[in-house]
Amino acid sequence: MTTKDIWVFIEREGEEIAEPSLEILGKATELTKKFGYTLTGILLGTPGDETARETIRYGADRAIILKHDDLNDYSNDLYVKSLFDAIRKETPTAFLIGATPYGRDLAGRLAARLRTGLTANAINMEMDENGLVVFGVPAYGGKILAEIVCEKTRPQMSTVRPGTFNKVYDPKREGKIRTLIPDLSNVRNRVKVLERNVSKLKDLSKSERTIVGGNGTGGDITLVKRLAELANCDIGVTRPLADKGLVPRDLQVGSTGYSLKSKVALILGVSGSEHFTSGIKDCETVVSIDIDERSEIFNHSDYCIVGDVSEIVPLLINKLEDKA
Amino acid sequence: MKNIIVCTKIVPKSENIIFDTATKRLDRSKAENQINETDKNAIETALRLREENGGKVILLSMGPPFFESYLKLGMAMGADDAILLSDRSFGGADTFPTALVLATAIKKIGDYDLILAGEESSDAGLGQLPGQIAEFLDLPQVLFVSSLEVAGDKLMGKRTIRGGHETVEVEMPAVISIEMHANQARFPDFRRKRWADSDYKLTIWGSKDLELAEEVTGLKGSFTIVRGLVDITPPKRKKIFIRGDSKEITSKLVELMRERK
Ligand SMILES: Cc1cc2nc3c(=O)[nH]c(=O)nc-3n(C[C@H](O)[C@H](O)[C@H](O)COP(=O)(O)OP(=O)(O)OC[C@H]3O[C@@H](n4cnc5c(N)ncnc54)[C@H](O)[C@@H]3O)c2cc1C
Ligand SMILES: Nc1ncnc2c1ncn2[C@@H]1O[C@H](COP(=O)(O)O)[C@@H](O)[C@H]1O
Repeated sequence: MTTKDIWVFIEREGEEIAEPSLEILGKATELTKKFGYTLTGILLGTPGDETARETIRYGADRAIILKHDDLNDYSNDLYVKSLFDAIRKETPTAFLIGATPYGRDLAGRLAARLRTGLTANAINMEMDENGLVVFGVPAYGGKILAEIVCEKTRPQMSTVRPGTFNKVYDPKREGKIRTLIPDLSNVRNRVKVLERNVSKLKDLSKSERTIVGGNGTGGDITLVKRLAELANCDIGVTRPLADKGLVPRDLQVGSTGYSLKSKVALILGVSGSEHFTSGIKDCETVVSIDIDERSEIFNHSDYCIVGDVSEIVPLLINKLEDKA
Repeated sequence: MKNIIVCTKIVPKSENIIFDTATKRLDRSKAENQINETDKNAIETALRLREENGGKVILLSMGPPFFESYLKLGMAMGADDAILLSDRSFGGADTFPTALVLATAIKKIGDYDLILAGEESSDAGLGQLPGQIAEFLDLPQVLFVSSLEVAGDKLMGKRTIRGGHETVEVEMPAVISIEMHANQARFPDFRRKRWADSDYKLTIWGSKDLELAEEVTGLKGSFTIVRGLVDITPPKRKKIFIRGDSKEITSKLVELMRERK
């Protein structure tokens, strides 16, 4: 038996809630409202009350805190144990997790321990009156959407692709906050973090104006960055440039990165593989520059310029600097 | 070092897969297959660790018999052995029974220090399998790792997290997934390929070898089902070519960017 309750894993960075968790809450409110389900935000560690209240303002009906000092930082061993126990006890019908690196690290193992079905990277979720959720999941680099259901076991689990859904916020919304104390006496964190290196980055899926650099930039994006600054745009890259470590993975566009929803995207030296173009399909206007007239990227562009990025970008920079 | 087991999947190249919108079926018949891109990086990681620390690199794959020739490419890259888990009853598996079958085989191989996998497979693209294998083997896991080395009886790795990366230390044995392009995977050696094709015999295990009941593997052992496939057609774009000298082009570009605030 399960309860008419959908849980959302609330990923925290200190007292700040990670965007993907809030986006899932936003979408999940649609599902829960329709059939009178409860939406629960689940937090781990010792977050402030205010943080728990925020999850409610972002759409949850209530928050549950699995309270333990050792849970303030992510640990696969400790998170899986605490969440497993809580889910077995409270029996939610679905459990949704942002498809962030930690979220994905958590989801697979937790689903295996719960002996339940797991879908990954959902970009669509619909629920029927029986509480069965149909998850829409892109496959083959984003050319096909597979509709996946988990009929027999509960909770129905899925990770959800960041940047897909919209947040909702109601400053007056109230709900209960419950605290559960997890039993961590028989688990040990086996992965020790020696060093953490993170920077605060703009969420690419929220970028209104974006310049994307690909391999055609020759792997040097200094000028692209300068251009982005002058043109008041955010910067994104294709996978090969992120693989080289030129920028953090969070600035990667495509099937294994972020999807853009920009008003305008300027694409520089990108060949237009399916893994990439699935990430620009929601842009309003796409402008591309590529040296090769037959580049596939032009089939995904509104305005096409056949030219050398290493010539055009400096010219653009000059032009914009002149005006400044 | 003891055995390094690399989970290796053979996948169709996504470019060549055709989706028939009428029948809502995937036509894989024209697709060429290959070793999953990131699994090559996992194999490369294993080979480098072996060069420094000794041990044996064993490729492990669950799939139909045609996987064999691709695993031989992995052998030609330098792996010491390869095992294919192939059985009619393994077909149609989602992540859970796949992980169960692989983990059962890993236990049968035994004597391991390290289980490597790619970060995700390019066809299904879930990235969930390594964590599930770790669960079945009760081993610690580190996923999305871009560099890995042995430090005494521990492993040190760099893993990608939101907004950056972490350096982590984990005890062996452990399950590690390797990020795509974490390294430059070597090409198969021509002479080794000839040897693998003519003299090397791949081990194949089925459900009997693994003592797995049919209900827990393949489609029967899966918790998720694919209900349908929907084509995601990219939007029709204008595709207007802007031509002219560089001055005209830059002016037009600036105009285009300005208009869309
Ligand atoms: C499982 C999987 C997941 C993936 N996920 C992603 C993803 O999320 N995002 C992603 O981007 N990729 C992803 N990829 C990789 C993807 O398939 C392509 O390899 C990648 O997008 C290519 O990047 P690119 O276009 O920058 O480089 P290239 O393919 O090398 O293209 C470079 C382009 O630049 C042009 N060019 C060269 N020189 C110049 C010049 N001087 N001026 C102008 N143009 C020039 C060339 O004509 C070419 O069109 C994934 C692949 C796999 C297998
Ligand atoms: N059938 C399989 N046989 C061997 N390894 C696999 C198989 N499926 C997935 N893997 C491994 O698990 C990784 C992640 O796969 P996935 O969870 O399917 O995205 C892959 O990169 C492979 O290393």
